[in-house]
Amino acid sequence: MIKKAKGATLAVLPLYLFTLVFVIGPLILMLVLSFSPRDGWGYGSGFTLDNYAVVFSGTYLNTFVTSLKLAVISTAAVIFIGYPFGLCTALLPARFARFFVSTQMIPYWVNSLLRLYGWIIIFRAGGLLDAVLMGLGITEEPLKLLYTYPAVVVGMIYVLLPFMFTSVYQVAEKLDLSLVEAARDLGAGRAYAFLTVTLPLTLPGLKTGVILTFIPSMGLFFIAQILGGNKVVLVGSLIEELLMKAHNQPGAAALSVILMLLTGAVCLLMMRKPRWQK
Amino acid sequence: MKKIISILMVSLMLVSVLLLTSCSSDSGRTLNLFTWAGMFPDEVIDGFEAATGIEVNYVNFDYDETMLAKLQAAEGGDYDLVIADDYIIEVAIAEGLVQKLDKSKLPSADNVNPLYQGQFYDPTDEYTVPYGAGVQTIVYNPEKIALDIKGYADLWDASLGDKLGIISNYRVINGMALKTMGESYNITDTAKIAEAGEKLKTLAPNIRLIKDDNLQDDLLAGEIDAAIMYTSQVTVAKMTNPALEVVFPEEGIGFGIMAMFVPSKAPDSDAAHAFIEYILTPEISAKCYEYIGYYCTNAAADSLISEDYRAFLTLPEAFTAENMEMIGNITAEADEAHLAAFTAFREACE
Amino acid sequence: MMNKITFTRIAYPILITVLTYLPIVVVVIYSFNESRLSSSWGGFSLKWYRELFRDEDMFEALFNSVVLALSSSMLAAILATAAALGIKNANLPGKRLIERASLLPLIIPEIVLGMVFLAFYSLLGMKFGMMTLILSHTAFCVPYIYTQVSARLEVLDSAPIEAARDLGASGFMAFVTVTLPLLAPAILSGIFLSFAMSFDDVIISVFCTGVSVNTLPIRVYTQLKTGVTPEINAMCTLMLAVTVVCYAAAAWLRTRKPAKH
Repeated sequence: MIKKAKGATLAVLPLYLFTLVFVIGPLILMLVLSFSPRDGWGYGSGFTLDNYAVVFSGTYLNTFVTSLKLAVISTAAVIFIGYPFGLCTALLPARFARFFVSTQMIPYWVNSLLRLYGWIIIFRAGGLLDAVLMGLGITEEPLKLLYTYPAVVVGMIYVLLPFMFTSVYQVAEKLDLSLVEAARDLGAGRAYAFLTVTLPLTLPGLKTGVILTFIPSMGLFFIAQILGGNKVVLVGSLIEELLMKAHNQPGAAALSVILMLLTGAVCLLMMRKPRWQK
Repeated sequence: MKKIISILMVSLMLVSVLLLTSCSSDSGRTLNLFTWAGMFPDEVIDGFEAATGIEVNYVNFDYDETMLAKLQAAEGGDYDLVIADDYIIEVAIAEGLVQKLDKSKLPSADNVNPLYQGQFYDPTDEYTVPYGAGVQTIVYNPEKIALDIKGYADLWDASLGDKLGIISNYRVINGMALKTMGESYNITDTAKIAEAGEKLKTLAPNIRLIKDDNLQDDLLAGEIDAAIMYTSQVTVAKMTNPALEVVFPEEGIGFGIMAMFVPSKAPDSDAAHAFIEYILTPEISAKCYEYIGYYCTNAAADSLISEDYRAFLTLPEAFTAENMEMIGNITAEADEAHLAAFTAFREACE
Repeated sequence: MMNKITFTRIAYPILITVLTYLPIVVVVIYSFNESRLSSSWGGFSLKWYRELFRDEDMFEALFNSVVLALSSSMLAAILATAAALGIKNANLPGKRLIERASLLPLIIPEIVLGMVFLAFYSLLGMKFGMMTLILSHTAFCVPYIYTQVSARLEVLDSAPIEAARDLGASGFMAFVTVTLPLLAPAILSGIFLSFAMSFDDVIISVFCTGVSVNTLPIRVYTQLKTGVTPEINAMCTLMLAVTVVCYAAAAWLRTRKPAKH
């Protein structure tokens, strides 16, 4: 038993030290920065709460609400689309499953900016989407979908879907289907079997998927910039403006700290074990 | 099978790291050029390398602020030549990150158009040589817009509903509102800036999009019919569709300059000077400006720019230092007020 | 196993895959566009491929990106897998806190992370280059692999590992022959996700790189001042083609040789 603990400690140690130096270290720097006063284009020494006070002034508070709303909508959509995708794929014979897993990987060789430009061309007034919809007689005039909120949501789903897919797939792939069959044999309905057997068994994957979707979606802002015409103002884009245009490093750090706390809190809330699981 | 893959990947990684470390022991002179990507045609870089035997190592940054942060971290070393925007150069000079140019090595520096000399960021022209200027104009498609646009105030016209695209630069956009109020781009009165922000909010119904990249595509594709965009974008748009109308706003002309400077501890400042001198050669300059699509700051090159481009790479004679204004650095409070106003404006656009 | 093909099981993934590839097809098509602009079709042309092959820097940037993404995802895989396996029994102060902290790079906006890394490395007096890039990328790659592996561990039956141990296999042998193969899908998907993130990252890279290392995304994004040219489309199309050929070859090899297990 002691030997086991020793081996485990050795295994954890590298990441432990790495995190301590290369994550906690920079993080402390960020915290210090967020409490430092501005000094010209940089920051001075001393302690101040001004940076946080600025954040809570009316204008910027709104961006947090907008970000949270978009993150929740995107995450929900990604669950709705990505969960069945991962599950269906895992239930296919290995040969087919492998095909879908690899086709999900290939697009990553194409730069994300270019892929978003691809969507611009598809969404453009009189573009591919309009041509198809109008050709089928579904719509009569161009949708003008580009640079609207729905376009942003499509872009978010597009970027985040693989995280949900892989998370669900690699857990579901381990799933013992005989349990579902057994439940069905015992007379359980399709929905009931799903809720009592499949869902609880794949829950770890779904959870991972939600973490990997929700957390980045709070910070993703270039999609809103490119597909949303920059009219959906997110915290991330405000931080960029503070840093790159208003050269206010402490302000940007303070906003990041708040964003981090908010995201962390929402995650903890979501990740709490539901009562029926205890 | 999976084991083989992982062994393969690890060995590949080791090999590549080894390769990298061995690569860096290059002999010969190199010029570490630090600027945005796509600032020089390949043939100009090749020509310089052939003429001087100095190899160009082209390193890129995305924003001026990133450049400054990198230069601060390197304490003015590492890079031999930097090209960036005017306002950031003022800061870099103030922080002692820039060295004075040796004019004896730059005989062609006299070619620089005086209009772009002696500006706020380098009043005595000791530190920099301009490389291209951006001028704020309004571009619109007269086939789609009946209104005869003469200045910024016309953009508020109700007939332009959801037809306008603008760049995401609050000093330029808020400045537009300031100009309609008869103010300077560089005022520091936060109340006036807030007032400009309120004025800007009433423009929201006309805004279809706010973005920095490839705005010309949206104008050419008909997604928007009028735009405030960067000079290079105007050039591309106008070259593609000559029917587009380019307007110098009657409220006043704002402009910015990109300039070359040598960092204080540049490893090879001689190479940097040689590059600046090479770029100032009129024939080379003309090629560069046609390529990047910014206004030519080298007076000796003006006449060499091909007819197709000359109309929008050189300024009409009527423009002088008196009726033009640069966007300079302002106080932190004023900057804060600008950002707050611009954020509120963006939210009003949705 | 009992995995069968039914209409929904196959139709739904196909639909999603087709949608995923729509913008990719557009990118490929426009790499053959004579015009520099995406707003107009100037006719079929190989002009951008010619430009690309004249551009040595672009290939160097690609090479750097591949090295960076491979190294950091591999390094992260080793760190994260070992830690995920040992976290339960490890004897370290505040290990759960550190575990949570290792996920933080996911939460902090990239741009701030980049800025803080820059400040941190210059505080330590490190030389900017491939090393600083790999360290920063590893930091944000760890969460992707750690979450995948620990999710898999949660559903994994520990019986086979215990059985192997009981049969006298040493801890290491049990790990190599039993645990590792069971965890492989999770590690691989974690590597895939983190490779993708690293290969595409621009904001952190631009802050952490030095004089000698340009990556592909840096090349693309820093072109914004003068406009992105279809040369990049050509580059991506080439990479796609190479990947597809590799996948096809691998699939073909697999079908030719009957699986051993």
